[in-house]
Amino acid sequence: MDQLDKGILNEIQSDFPISERPYREIAARLGLEEDEVIRRVGTLKAEGVIRRIGASFNSRRLSFSSTLCAARVPEDRIREFVSVVNEYQGVTHNYRRNGTYNIWFTLIARDRERVSAILEEIALRTRISYILDLPAVRTFKIKVDFEV
Amino acid sequence: MSPTPKLVKIAIYGWTLSIDLTKRWASDIPKKKKGIFHISDGCSIMLDDNDRRIIGHIQGDIPLSRTPFLDLAETAGMDEADVIARIKRLKDEGIIRRFGATLRHQEAGFSANAMVAWRVPDERITEVGERLAGFREVTHCYQRVMHQKWPYNLYTMLHGKSEEQCRQLAGKMSRAVGIDNYILLFSTEEFKKTSMEYF
Repeated sequence: MDQLDKGILNEIQSDFPISERPYREIAARLGLEEDEVIRRVGTLKAEGVIRRIGASFNSRRLSFSSTLCAARVPEDRIREFVSVVNEYQGVTHNYRRNGTYNIWFTLIARDRERVSAILEEIALRTRISYILDLPAVRTFKIKVDFEV
Repeated sequence: MSPTPKLVKIAIYGWTLSIDLTKRWASDIPKKKKGIFHISDGCSIMLDDNDRRIIGHIQGDIPLSRTPFLDLAETAGMDEADVIARIKRLKDEGIIRRFGATLRHQEAGFSANAMVAWRVPDERITEVGERLAGFREVTHCYQRVMHQKWPYNLYTMLHGKSEEQCRQLAGKMSRAVGIDNYILLFSTEEFKKTSMEYF
């Protein structure tokens, strides 16, 4: 990844043009050719630096409900628990963390009732009953761009 | 038994908001102060089928070509100008939080990430939340429902070059707001990280 790649990444993280020829606009900002930008973006995607190019939504504004969940899972049952939890399409992030509650995952569903139903189903299927449901009451900050 | 919905419709900037005044998130959410109405609570924005169709195409990865929105419009059986106008509107309305590239190593150069859970007295939550959110290293900051078994109500995600650096930063944040009841939770393994498929 060279300086030009870094310049492209900084441009396309949040300022991706919603227009007929977005890469031509990015190229103009950076003094490059349109096809050169497309070629480099293709390489950055192939290398796995760029995960995707698209929209990130405010799930609440789409009237979906989301929550953060924390579960206490015995060490020897973690793999099994995680594989059940990850089956749900609304589970978007799932991490092991240090502490009593050792599995932390986020869940998005079309409404609050569906969120609760999925959590009940997970508890039933895994027989792990210590799952905390910690929906956000208020958002103070979501930072989405990272200077490369 | 759920109460009969009390629907209020508000037209604003060309959108119709349908608000169910009886709807609440969960019974364990602290009661809101009287007179303060949180629009996000029972609010749903009316999207039509074309909006949903577009969301279905931009929630993942858009085509890599000179004309990604034309390609997308053709796949969706829509007009390019209409697709572009609708995406712009979704962005202006804040339904799209961000449009662009998501990097796999967003925390490039930041190998440690910690979720810090804080216990903040209710009357200080706004002030403390805003001050902690002001730290450059904090990427997310939320007030969350407090649970009997887990007595924390404010969460910050922070990124550092090492666990030690995260600990020092949390200490600095703690001193800045005068809250010493907090816990650092380091992620030690990633099991899933993806984006939501809404429609």
